[in-house]
Amino acid sequence: MSLASRSRRGLPLLAAAVLGVLAGDAFAARISRLTPPSELFASGEEAPVIARFLPGQRFDLQATIEPDAGRTIVHFDFFVDNQSTLRPFWVDGELIHDPRERLTSTVTETGPAATCINATTGRTTGASGCALVAGLPANTTVISRRAFSASTPGVHTLRVTARQDDGTTISATGNFEIVGINPESGQVAKNIVIFLGDGMGAAHRTAARIISRGYAQGKAKGLLAMDTFPHTGMVMTASLNSIVTDSAPGMQNYVTGNKANNNEEGVWPDDTRDAFDNPRYEYLSEYLHNLQGKSLGVVTTADVFDATPASMAIHTSARGNGTGIVDQFFDDRDQTGLAVLLGGGRKWFLPNPSDSVSPQPVNGSQRRKTNDYVLGDDIVNGWGVARGVLDPERDLIADFRSAGFRYAPDKSGLDAAFAAGTPDKLLGLFAYSNMNVAYDKIAGRRGDTTVVDAFGFPDQPMLDEMTDAALKVLSKNPNGFVALIEGSSIDKQAHLMDTDRWTLEVIELDRAIAVAKRFAERNPDTLVLVTADHECSGAAIIGAATVSAATLAADPDAGKSVVGIYEAAKFPKYTMAEDGYPETTHIDGKMLIGYGANADRYETWLPSRYPTRDTQQPFPPSQSPANPNVRNEGTGYLVTGQVPGDQAAHTATDIPLSAYGRGSHHFNGVFDNTDVFFKIGQIAIGGAD
Amino acid sequence: MHALSVSSRLLPGLLLAALSSFVHAHGEAISIPAVAARDVPRALAVRGELKAPPRGVAELKFGEIFRLPVGPQGLEPSEKLASLDGKRVRMVGYLVPLYPPADDRFLLSPLAVDIGHEDESLADNIPPTAVMVQLPTAAGATIPRIPGLIQLTGTLSVGSREDAASGRVSPVQLTLDAPAARTLRRVSRDAAKAAEPRHRH
Repeated sequence: MSLASRSRRGLPLLAAAVLGVLAGDAFAARISRLTPPSELFASGEEAPVIARFLPGQRFDLQATIEPDAGRTIVHFDFFVDNQSTLRPFWVDGELIHDPRERLTSTVTETGPAATCINATTGRTTGASGCALVAGLPANTTVISRRAFSASTPGVHTLRVTARQDDGTTISATGNFEIVGINPESGQVAKNIVIFLGDGMGAAHRTAARIISRGYAQGKAKGLLAMDTFPHTGMVMTASLNSIVTDSAPGMQNYVTGNKANNNEEGVWPDDTRDAFDNPRYEYLSEYLHNLQGKSLGVVTTADVFDATPASMAIHTSARGNGTGIVDQFFDDRDQTGLAVLLGGGRKWFLPNPSDSVSPQPVNGSQRRKTNDYVLGDDIVNGWGVARGVLDPERDLIADFRSAGFRYAPDKSGLDAAFAAGTPDKLLGLFAYSNMNVAYDKIAGRRGDTTVVDAFGFPDQPMLDEMTDAALKVLSKNPNGFVALIEGSSIDKQAHLMDTDRWTLEVIELDRAIAVAKRFAERNPDTLVLVTADHECSGAAIIGAATVSAATLAADPDAGKSVVGIYEAAKFPKYTMAEDGYPETTHIDGKMLIGYGANADRYETWLPSRYPTRDTQQPFPPSQSPANPNVRNEGTGYLVTGQVPGDQAAHTATDIPLSAYGRGSHHFNGVFDNTDVFFKIGQIAIGGAD
Repeated sequence: MHALSVSSRLLPGLLLAALSSFVHAHGEAISIPAVAARDVPRALAVRGELKAPPRGVAELKFGEIFRLPVGPQGLEPSEKLASLDGKRVRMVGYLVPLYPPADDRFLLSPLAVDIGHEDESLADNIPPTAVMVQLPTAAGATIPRIPGLIQLTGTLSVGSREDAASGRVSPVQLTLDAPAARTLRRVSRDAAKAAEPRHRH
């Protein structure tokens, strides 16, 4: 049951409902969606309260109305605690602000009826060129009221009402909560650094410790930098529509306090096709930039349009919309305070002036109109953001430079950017798509440049170097900063079940964490969090090889016959090189990993010479295997998968979060990923006590 | 163990080959016929080592399209690519049918990939080196999926160009020689005929 009701003017609610039933409407009028999402609307239960906000944090109100057949919606309003959110504001008889005029929109199916409405069912088709998604009554109306905010702590009631052209009124009720901030609770944290080991569960951390620190007689010989953080909690990671999250909601839940659907970032789901018009809610970066003038830094080893980095600043329901995503990073820098953007993904920044008539210069740009953005007046007015333009021809690197960003195309360029002092703003695009992983970058630095050369980018920085550069730039802002630093390929390589590559990704992330820890030691008004968005692959340390590296190599089909469990696993001993990474992962008695969310794979327990294929790269080496289910086919031991598809999947397992610095003691226990946002809000605004 | 694993791998492959359409997130079905591996014409198929291309035809590999390493800005065409503008070349790659389906052009890719749905714009699984292949005249039937590597000979045209219908951007276009185009037309028509629903008499 949804808490929706309908009435004709002057008729009691119940009588009107009966009339509706007796009339046998093909589509009885109803409100099929009320946003922010609430359990009160969905099931009638008042708890749990799904949508929560900090005082003054902006969010959109939206409803999908399915009117009676043949009817249209002529008027609507959203009420919070019975107060209209659309009341005009008058001063001395002069209209100062009319929210209805500036902040609302109404979307109906305006596309060609032949394409957009199924003649048989009378429902929307959701086809290309149409306004609404498939399966709705033809006269469905999506109404929005943008950029609402409230400041009184507590649970509030949200009621939407909509009037049809025959006078019938329908309404629905939901709720949301404003989470208060305790003021004057001691010193605040000025700088917030979030390390996100994408896909990094407990096993990933343990594996990196076993390799890089070693164990003796049951004790770790040393700790990872993240192990030294004084407080650790467990995070529940579910998204709005699944117990198993993907990276978009997995990240954005930390920095918005709200649950998103998989594939969506900074928005709730809606019933329009446009991926950029979804109802929004304010990011931590926007909130703290507006409130305190903080800067934003985004550092990743992925393509910068990837779900996790985009989930710091971008509002879209389609995490794949690369052109619009990178444009929004730049266009809304005055809203987010973006000062540092480092990672891969140069292909989205290059001008693509192509047209279908004459050939244009070749540069590998992947910018295109179909994944760019243009916003409506209501969003532009409400949020104060750029409208956007469908402009594949845009030279975004040039735009960043004109706006005062130093641009670094490689490690040498990153060093050069600091030659004449620390720049105020920094853009680094070190690869065409995702950067190479630590395993291959380190091989390149040690002289085996086969893979980095094949990808075309032989001089890529390591994540600790990127972190150091980012913190230098960001700390120039006396108001502080919010930074995301992502080890993205822990996830990508765990999906591919490439053990040798993801374990080094965790080590690379930990070396970056050590940089931030040193920064926080010097700047005690800093909070450093280390966590993940979700676990990936169901990784488990199942033991160690009972044979030498040479024997493993000689018999790659040995499978489980060489897996030493319990005491047979002993303590694998890796030798660390001066660069901070193991000399080799191909050792006698190496640590072995099993995968609980595995797809089919052929396991040899040996390192793969080439990374498994990333089709986004311009020069994918022909030696790269297409997928784990063909990698080592014919040589390895077939491990039958438990999940469909080509790759291992994310899991719903809770993940660890470790905290260091001011306010870190707030992060003990088991909590929801959205709770992290409210803890940060308290520590950054009200105080850390 | 291995015999079992091979057969279990073959089965999904066969099913996939038989699948002539897939459904999008929004319920639109794309119908693109598929050619069985045994029906790929000899003129297109790549089996074993290829002989050198005939006189007057240069070999162009996908890895030779852009300069390595990549400079500080975008990808740059290689000298070899520039020198082959307007010349006849042979390329070996995987055929990627366009969406919306087309009967006079397709992509040739260095990897066996598929175009994702327009809504999944990340589903740009297509490497940036993918070449737009143009038939001089339309095949009269949708260009089908053709399994495995194929070889094509035609005239190269260098320059980034956006395909108006699909929005695909290609750095290079290849206009097929007449014999290759004839083969493609025949394969396309045969595949379309084979994909027609059979009626009982």
